[in-house]
Amino acid sequence: MTPERMAGLVARWVRFYTRDLPAPIARGRADEIDADLHDHIAHERAAGIGERRIALGIASRLVRGLAADAAWRGRHLKTGARKPLSRSVVRVALGVALILSLPLIGMLISDDVVWGPGDFVAAGVLLATIGVALELAARRAGNLALAIGIAALGIAAGLVGQADDTPGLVLLGILLFASACALGVRAAHRSR
Amino acid sequence: MPRRKPGTLLPLETEILETALSLLRSGHSDFHGFGLAQTMREQSGSRSLTAHGTLYKALSRLEESGLLSSHWEDAAAVEGRPRRRLYELTSRGVQVAETAVAGKAAGRLPRLASEPA
Repeated sequence: MTPERMAGLVARWVRFYTRDLPAPIARGRADEIDADLHDHIAHERAAGIGERRIALGIASRLVRGLAADAAWRGRHLKTGARKPLSRSVVRVALGVALILSLPLIGMLISDDVVWGPGDFVAAGVLLATIGVALELAARRAGNLALAIGIAALGIAAGLVGQADDTPGLVLLGILLFASACALGVRAAHRSR
Repeated sequence: MPRRKPGTLLPLETEILETALSLLRSGHSDFHGFGLAQTMREQSGSRSLTAHGTLYKALSRLEESGLLSSHWEDAAAVEGRPRRRLYELTSRGVQVAETAVAGKAAGRLPRLASEPA
């Protein structure tokens, strides 16, 4: 591999770990590494070092700095970087649509599932509320364990409520809504 | 990676300050990332250059601590190569670097003056 190709690999890694960071911070880091790589290659070529050894030197600097890169990203994510809002909205909308499609399909293939427009609206509002609460919690607290807890509660509610549609929906909603509220309180507490 | 005690500098950060001080004393008031890594390699006799992530994370911390300041080169001065970010020691950075050099022999961990980290 040539030094330039290895430098390209480093540049791709920089683009990866600076994703979703504020543009000036991401661009500053990318430009700084770009200048470093250029100087590195030029200096070592001028010193008569072979192409393969230069490429290996760049690869070594990349690999030895991976942990520090991740730590640097984590610090900048904590100090103000936010995921784009549009992604959160799309995630919540897709999640709600996916879950609501299940009873809809159930109504098409079975006479046992009977949901009225009011049920869909109520379920949609509940699910959207939960989705927004989870997104907020993930942004502010980033606590995966709590998200898993919410999912487990949802599954439990689904199993308990499967005997009858409307009570199942209500139980699912109450359980998930309560856990989402708990998550929101925790997120707000941690953000102080 | 060594865990930082409050108000202290990591060994790499101390090394950067000491190198920056030696560059300043030899008439180079500012320096860039690769130049610094190269100088540190020469001074320490190491075979390898400091890793990108480690070096720039340390520079970033030192700048946030007010020990270094930085600015980008003028686009007109670069002549076909990427612009470099140039760092220089602040007056507080000079103080801390001098203390670090003086305290090195005594084996003391350098501190960021009397302020909390």
